[in-house]
Amino acid sequence: MSQWLNKVISDARGVDDFLAPMRQQSLNKLETDGWPHARSEEWRFTPLSSLKERVSNESSLDTSYNVPQIDGLESIDIVFVDGVLRTDISKLSLPHGLNLCAINNASTDMQDEISRLFGQVKPSRHVFGLVNDALCEQGVYISLDDNCEVDTPLRIINIAAQDCDAHTRALVNLGENSQLKVIEHGFGSQASFTTAFAEYMIGKEAKLEHYRFAFFTGAAKQVGGSHFSLQERANLNSTFVSYGSELSRVDVDIIHAGQHANAKMNAIYLLAEGELFDMHSTIEHAVPNGTTQENARGIIGDKARAVFSGRIHIHRDAQKTLAELNNRNLLLSRRAMINTKPELEIYADDVQCAHGATVAEIEEKALYYLMSRSIPRSKALVMLNFGFVQELVNAISNEPIKQWLLPMLSERFANMEVK
Amino acid sequence: MLNIKNLHARVEDKTIIQGLNLEVNPGEVHAIMGPNGAGKSTLGYVLSGREGYEVEQGEVSLNGNDLFEMEIEERASNGLFLAFQYPVEIPGVSNMEFMKESVNATREHRGEEPLSATEFLKQAKEACKQVQLPLDFLKRGVNEGFSGGEKKRNEIMQMILLKPSLCILDESDSGLDIDALKVVANGVNSQRDSARSFIVITHYQRLLDFIKPDFVHILANGKIVKSGDASLALKVENEGYAFLGKEFEEVSA
Repeated sequence: MSQWLNKVISDARGVDDFLAPMRQQSLNKLETDGWPHARSEEWRFTPLSSLKERVSNESSLDTSYNVPQIDGLESIDIVFVDGVLRTDISKLSLPHGLNLCAINNASTDMQDEISRLFGQVKPSRHVFGLVNDALCEQGVYISLDDNCEVDTPLRIINIAAQDCDAHTRALVNLGENSQLKVIEHGFGSQASFTTAFAEYMIGKEAKLEHYRFAFFTGAAKQVGGSHFSLQERANLNSTFVSYGSELSRVDVDIIHAGQHANAKMNAIYLLAEGELFDMHSTIEHAVPNGTTQENARGIIGDKARAVFSGRIHIHRDAQKTLAELNNRNLLLSRRAMINTKPELEIYADDVQCAHGATVAEIEEKALYYLMSRSIPRSKALVMLNFGFVQELVNAISNEPIKQWLLPMLSERFANMEVK
Repeated sequence: MLNIKNLHARVEDKTIIQGLNLEVNPGEVHAIMGPNGAGKSTLGYVLSGREGYEVEQGEVSLNGNDLFEMEIEERASNGLFLAFQYPVEIPGVSNMEFMKESVNATREHRGEEPLSATEFLKQAKEACKQVQLPLDFLKRGVNEGFSGGEKKRNEIMQMILLKPSLCILDESDSGLDIDALKVVANGVNSQRDSARSFIVITHYQRLLDFIKPDFVHILANGKIVKSGDASLALKVENEGYAFLGKEFEEVSA
């Protein structure tokens, strides 16, 4: 057992609210499962030693914080600092049909809705998800009425500002034929440990444009996930962008629960120095006629390490499924590492499926050619090697987000160590 | 312009250049000929700074600056241009984007403003026409799917745009038919002036009918064993390298 987990379990026993029945289930599982053993497949390439004996401090509330602006983007911001909601939700002016409430401040009606969604999309896959289930009292519930279109993106901001443990949750419910844009924007560089999970129920014919930016670096450890359930003819377009830290992991689940749903997911990771980033994605085609396209692309420099596990599971009844998964990696140094595992599990016979993973290194000849024409090394590297990542940024339909990401990512790349 | 003194260089653990001396003054055209394996291409790579080509001893100055103190891109910005024998293909980077970065990096080094998009396009189109490449080659990936001859012409186009002070042409004639050869030669000749110098590396005298050299050097076993005027190239064409002595008969055979 781990000292940290023992403390978490004893804290969780003290949590008593309307979610208690769900929390208890996760707590029981935590107590049974205990700390993952060293050979656990979930954590095979992602060491948890920095957490096992972690001593967690209490957060203090007087920290000041800055919310990074995205030029040209008008968004409705919901800010958590060290796991504490700092936005007065009651003072937000919300578009018609959009409802927001803090999980720990929900009316009885809202409590019912929250209970119906909580833990329904996110699988109880691993210890930190269970910890979040059992312990997380801070979070936000977002629901959008049927047939409502909201153009202004909602931005859920998670700031890890000081050395404490913090847990947040977002539950998002899109009514039938509605449209919403949600940005999960997390960052921090101070020693800390956060978990942040979001569950999305995308109603019939509804459309979600989703972003998750996991900009945790240095000693800011985060384990989190975004989990989506798609009802009939629902549409998901999602982009993940991540840096790496001592421990940064994102789990993604896309569940085709209704027929003719369409999911598109792109993921970018740029890792420098000794950073670690781990993405586990699972696509569940439970019903026929679903479409999924997933592209994950990463650049790994210096002695950084990426872990990618991409699973597509096509159930027996899920005929006429179209699913593609591709993972491309570029290693910038001999010590950089990627553990990539595309995984296809197909039980239906009339499906179209493709998956693949590639790992490439710097093309020295091309680099020399560009430099022999006066182009400085860093610029040449960007020209040669940034293209495959830039392609995914260019695919982002939201112009301000694209313009914000491009220079930021190309600068991060240009500063990465090539050895 | 370029002054090479007692250059020794190796690739991996094999010394290829073994005591090479050469002085190139502004406006001069020097041809370097020699049997296979003499070190002709190696010389071009060593001067341009390619990784894996290690200088063991000797000095090289370019326009008064120590060449070996400079990075690859600095050598280029300081006027050194190597037209490659086998230009690399770079899918994903357009010829246009590549040349624009290249021209503007050179201009920046000289303290000049970057060219406007329109001005650059105008110059690029002119250079393209001069080497008789269709304009859509500007939009294609660098050398991507180009024929051997198109790659060579693309090199000359870059040279025309970059206006270097020292151009090293590494077998720019190899694999070209007579028409393509003339295009390359005309491109080179259009750039000749009293300030710009050329080192033309070639196996065949044929190119030198079109690009008249001031000097011809024979490179063998890593050093220059004979220098002369254009007539030396004709002698090589007629007699092979046997006249250099017994040891070269085998190499040239």
